[in-house]
Amino acid sequence: MGYSGLLEWVKFNNPMDNAYYPYDVYNLPYDAGAKLWELLGGLLGWLINLLVPGNRLSTWLISDAVVNAFAIIFLAVILFAVGFVVNLTMIWEERKVLGRMMDRRGTKIGPLGYFQCLGDGLKTFMKENVAPADKDKKIYWWALSLVIGSSVLIACMVPLSHRWFVVDYSTGLLLIFGIFALAPFFILCAGWAQNNKYSLLGGIRAATLMISYEIPMLILLASVVLMAGSFNINDIVNAQFDTMWYIVPQFIGFIVFVVCAIAESERVPFDLAEAEAELVEGWQTEYAGMKWGLIMLGDYFRGYTACALIVILYLGGWMLPGIGATAVPELVFLLKIFAVFFIFIWARASLPRVRIDQILNIGWKRLMPLSVVNLCIVLLLKMGGVF
Amino acid sequence: MAMKYLKDEKPRKFRGTGVIKPLWTVLKHMFKTTIHRPVTILYPYEKEWVPDNYRGRPGLRFDRCVGCGICVRMCPTTCIKLVDVEDDDGNTVKRPQVNVGRCMMCGYCAEYCPMDAMTTTPDYELAEFTREDLVYGPRRLHFEMTTEMMEVPMEEHLPSNVAKGIMDKPVAFYNTDKPVLSKEDCIGCSKCEKVCPTNAIKMVVIGQNERGRDIKIPEIDNSKCICCENCVLNCPKDALHIEEVL
Amino acid sequence: MMKGPELDKMWITMGPQHPFSHGLWTLRVQVDGEIVVDAEPEIGYLHRGWEKECENRIYPKIIPMADRLCYSASMTWSHLYCKVVEEALDVELPDRARYLRVVADEICRIQSHLMWLAAVGTDLGNLTVFLWCLREREFFLDLNVRLCGQRLTTNYPRIGGVRNDMPYYFERDCMRAVERFEKALWEIIAITDESSLFVNRMKGTGILTREQVANLGITGPAMRGTGVDFDIRRDDPYAAYGEIDFEVPVLKDGDSYSRFRVRIEEMFQSCEIIRQAMAKLETIPKTHPYRIKVPRAVPEGTHVTRIEDPRGEGLMYLVSDGTDKPYRLKVRSPVFVNVSAAKPLVMGARVADIPAVMAMIDMCLGETDR
Repeated sequence: MGYSGLLEWVKFNNPMDNAYYPYDVYNLPYDAGAKLWELLGGLLGWLINLLVPGNRLSTWLISDAVVNAFAIIFLAVILFAVGFVVNLTMIWEERKVLGRMMDRRGTKIGPLGYFQCLGDGLKTFMKENVAPADKDKKIYWWALSLVIGSSVLIACMVPLSHRWFVVDYSTGLLLIFGIFALAPFFILCAGWAQNNKYSLLGGIRAATLMISYEIPMLILLASVVLMAGSFNINDIVNAQFDTMWYIVPQFIGFIVFVVCAIAESERVPFDLAEAEAELVEGWQTEYAGMKWGLIMLGDYFRGYTACALIVILYLGGWMLPGIGATAVPELVFLLKIFAVFFIFIWARASLPRVRIDQILNIGWKRLMPLSVVNLCIVLLLKMGGVF
Repeated sequence: MAMKYLKDEKPRKFRGTGVIKPLWTVLKHMFKTTIHRPVTILYPYEKEWVPDNYRGRPGLRFDRCVGCGICVRMCPTTCIKLVDVEDDDGNTVKRPQVNVGRCMMCGYCAEYCPMDAMTTTPDYELAEFTREDLVYGPRRLHFEMTTEMMEVPMEEHLPSNVAKGIMDKPVAFYNTDKPVLSKEDCIGCSKCEKVCPTNAIKMVVIGQNERGRDIKIPEIDNSKCICCENCVLNCPKDALHIEEVL
Repeated sequence: MMKGPELDKMWITMGPQHPFSHGLWTLRVQVDGEIVVDAEPEIGYLHRGWEKECENRIYPKIIPMADRLCYSASMTWSHLYCKVVEEALDVELPDRARYLRVVADEICRIQSHLMWLAAVGTDLGNLTVFLWCLREREFFLDLNVRLCGQRLTTNYPRIGGVRNDMPYYFERDCMRAVERFEKALWEIIAITDESSLFVNRMKGTGILTREQVANLGITGPAMRGTGVDFDIRRDDPYAAYGEIDFEVPVLKDGDSYSRFRVRIEEMFQSCEIIRQAMAKLETIPKTHPYRIKVPRAVPEGTHVTRIEDPRGEGLMYLVSDGTDKPYRLKVRSPVFVNVSAAKPLVMGARVADIPAVMAMIDMCLGETDR
């Protein structure tokens, strides 16, 4: 037992040396969590050791396992918190920019109207929890939870930089796409379970739409992966730093991906699943109160994920051309996300909702061939040795 | 005169280019509105300017009112009622009371008021906690800054004048239309004298009947008459009627 | 003939509380998937006995009630009422009154059409159109305030003229509003008519033929969008429309898009009419009469008159019995007739087309149910 002074209790070890460290590379939130625990747990252990010298609790408190457990929980909380705050900022951005485009003021509560979302959240939270009597109870609740849960899950999986991630880079992209594609099924179930004709139509529409827009998206993902030569997000970002942002060679792909991303996150030109003009709220009709609030939040989480994917695949991720990763690559990444989200808002302000047959026409007859064209361009460039 | 939109007077460069034009227009608009002040008015804090002739709740100038009841009769929603109040000298007089909760703000009371006592006011913030609070008594109807525009002048032209080519002699019905007595029906009950708000009617003795009592008929002072029809409506024998001048 | 439940088709009830129904009415549609196979409009939720109420009121008191027939076309409805009583009284209107009524009517038409365009924006899922239109509409409502003292319930026409003459600087304000509006309307056109997504939603939906229009009695822009060249303002001129030079837009396609284009062009024409009427008003001396004194009682007889409402042909039928109250006042509302076309309009369309198609009818339930 060599612990004598305070400094030996609080040593700020390198988290990579931790025996249970779950990743191969450095992770900033994990490191922050580990350091925080070393401070708290070390102080606690030192105090206990002062009172009862030589006990085993003190050493257990700063053991690798406890540090790791705390760091993992801290990682989860901090990732969700950051995702949540980024979402609130995106909602705020949407309301403000939309207001300007429509010649009105947008939100007004708090500094520049930032706290309006909190107020709205509080309002939906205080609503009565109404559910239809003849619902299919199990599916009603499970589908809802899974829609929201999967949305939040993928949003938290988005890496903000080379040091801010939750799953390994090599599998992250596929995992995000996989869970992204799960939502239509849950939405269809949710639309069925509510025992409401509007929500049934909305659910069917959502499923049709999302399934048909998955395919061009995956083809585009394939072309980006082909160009970068790796499924690893880190590699894709680094490859873009080494050559150029993929928006330049794959401009068609970028446009198609933005359209698909808007459709996947059910935003206005393609929000026919909740088309409030004809299907009151679409598949969300019978989800009242905070359920609806959470669905809205989940929608924005999906929008955030879609923006993040665009930034990773086409806009160079957290790197800046010529500079590389700055001191705070996370901030660069978030700023890029807000810039991409501006395109979403812009489309929402200027375009009307598209009809279901037109949307499928666009999806299968326009976007699908365009994405294949994009893939061919990538193939040609790759074979020509440009990349 | 040509069509402006259907004939494509303005060249439309972006026609058929999908969504580029709307996207561009909205972006341009965003920059424009970011520089300019938004058109939205933050209502409780800022208020829109309303002109003097805005038809809000009715107002009453107590000292001008004679309690003739034209407003009561002209009100489409019958929200005006004559109530007894004390005037400044302590006498009990009849003055209009308005149930603003029922008022449709048509402005007829101000338009038809012969004394310009009823006015419209630009006061439109009328919310109260109870329905009883919405009943505005004669004193509460007072509005501080009554201007000429709020009196709603009635400027009708007589068709006979217009036919003669006289175009600048506006009149109002309360200046031209007068009650006329058909003497054979009158029983001399002098009810008209009592109900006349301007004391324009005086009963005069025109003779004596076979029993030696006075025969009285109303004599109408047309300069004082405001054509309120109270005498006509209260006459038990329908001996009075309004003669319209056209 | 019941053949058991048809499980592949279902009835959807849209309304009375549904975002697509502008006002309280129901459109029940039977859908096969997304395709509408049957439809049935239901109205009457807003019936308030308007015609019966009129029988207990003296003639001038009905004017503010006529305002309340339709929230966005109040001026034309009170104009129509005054017109039928004037015809019964055989009054000739002074020049100022005729031109003032034209100006007021066209201001009303523009703001009513803007309300319609705004509703089209929300029905097609774009809120920007809605807010831009309402912003422009505000300038015309301000003109209403200056002229009549209220934004919507104008109570401006009187039997024998109008309530008051133009206020100071009204002409200047009116010209400014019109000029500004024409510029802004091109901007609104840029995000509606020049957006292929917008046009695709309207093109080829809700097609009516000339025969259907004639049989159903549809009037107004919906009729002119089907190729019937008829406008009461031009073909049966009232007020001062006979002395004003304007075009009547007519398109032949008969779908939602042609109805949309007819209405947009009508707004431009209204601007032109306001300009010409204002120029004429300048030549008439300010002291000239704008209101004629009329007798209180209307001679016995029946009278019918019609007017071009923003939504179609408004008609009033007056039976007077020689007293100062009407014996019967019947209103023929254009929307009441136009909504009967709901079934042929939405048959075969998709569920998503229903708001887009019905928006072109420009529903106003106040005058429909009366």
